[in-house]
Amino acid sequence: MRFVDEFRNPELGRALAGEILATVETGRHYKIMEVCGGHTHSIYKYGVDDLLPANVELVHGPGCPVCVIPMGRVDDGIAIAHEPDVIFTCFGDMLRVPGANGTLLDAKAEGADVRMVYSPLDALRIARDNPDRPVVFYAIGFETTAPSTALTLKRAKAEGITNFSCMCNHVTIVPPLRALLDSPDLRLDGFIGPGHVATVVGGRPFEFIPADYGRPVVISGFEPLDLLQSVQMILRQLGDGRCEVENQYARVVPYEGNMAALKVMSEVFELRPHFEWRGLGFISQSALRLSDAYRDLDAEVRYQVPGVRVADPKACQCGEVLKGVIKPWECKVFGSACTPEHAIGTCMVSPEGACAAYYNYGRFARDREVV
Amino acid sequence: MTARLESAIVPPDPGVPPCGPDDHCITCGDVAVAMRVERVDAAARLAWCVPAGAAAAPGVGEWVDPELVGAVRPGDVVLVHAATALARLDAVGAPA
Repeated sequence: MRFVDEFRNPELGRALAGEILATVETGRHYKIMEVCGGHTHSIYKYGVDDLLPANVELVHGPGCPVCVIPMGRVDDGIAIAHEPDVIFTCFGDMLRVPGANGTLLDAKAEGADVRMVYSPLDALRIARDNPDRPVVFYAIGFETTAPSTALTLKRAKAEGITNFSCMCNHVTIVPPLRALLDSPDLRLDGFIGPGHVATVVGGRPFEFIPADYGRPVVISGFEPLDLLQSVQMILRQLGDGRCEVENQYARVVPYEGNMAALKVMSEVFELRPHFEWRGLGFISQSALRLSDAYRDLDAEVRYQVPGVRVADPKACQCGEVLKGVIKPWECKVFGSACTPEHAIGTCMVSPEGACAAYYNYGRFARDREVV
Repeated sequence: MTARLESAIVPPDPGVPPCGPDDHCITCGDVAVAMRVERVDAAARLAWCVPAGAAAAPGVGEWVDPELVGAVRPGDVVLVHAATALARLDAVGAPA
């Protein structure tokens, strides 16, 4: 298929792997973080890490939108879902994320009308079809998904659909990256930048990483050859002593981003002063809420939510996994008490989560030959 | 992807969590797919799109909001996430 097959060519993959092997310095250990959960999924689905020398380590970052939602926000959603007559809509992965009071699927089993949707537009369609019932959309996602929510809220307002509202959990990628870079227990050599977030925000928001922290960034596509080439570009920067933002995904990502998307986001959303990230704690100005102009469509204004902070289960080490401090298989409950069927932590719930990616594709600890 | 596209026109069973191949929720996962515009509903401001490499077939496709990429015409290829076109692929140098 066009746009796909050409980026899965095994001969080109072998050639790139050979170039990477020729680029690395013997005896040096490289730690490269792939920021986006979609990259994590692709790396383990296609075995990209098996093509890398043992001294090139991929560290999995916080870019899985499901994995970073704290338990308290799940409980807030469940509380709204139990409100009388409410139709509660959300994306599929979110249904299985455990809060302190179970999951949204549990709420559905208890009688709440919880429905899976594929887009905010689907949720709006449900609101149109059920004018006598309030419909709430539980919005999650990074800057890739936020424009879709923003456009849908604009439609709702334009069409005068008053039974539609949104519980906004959209997050932004730059503040957690800065928090990670400030973390003393993390040493990284470079970043594989999130390709689809960059489609919206462009490359400039990542320029602080080379400027302030001296680490290269390569914005990457999601096919196996995209990822291999991005690793090679990072290694080349390190070898050349360069440090900049490069765009491997130029076939999709304009460096300036999508100005129309940024405009509609700025109209519909505003930054929250603080937002709690699972495993990372509270990070300033790292999430979005509805702006004053759209406050009438804000589910958190329409309904009373508990708003209680819930500590993660003690056995769960999602925080360390999200920060790349430990590998998923180093968590005490990985693959035993915590599996995709019975997840304790969010990293095991979403296929984009590092734990689920390891578990589903059998990527456990193993010895590799050191270059 | 086909499962997701089909379910865009057939209301999904709310009791079935997987919403993509390999139990992979492509909306949660920041995944975007290349799709080709088949027809445009100007009144609804939506475009009916199918996977870029696939032929049009009954039941395959989804309605996409093209507002962020400007006016689209049948044959245009766009990058779609959560039923929203985020980029016009041809405009940024997609391979022919």
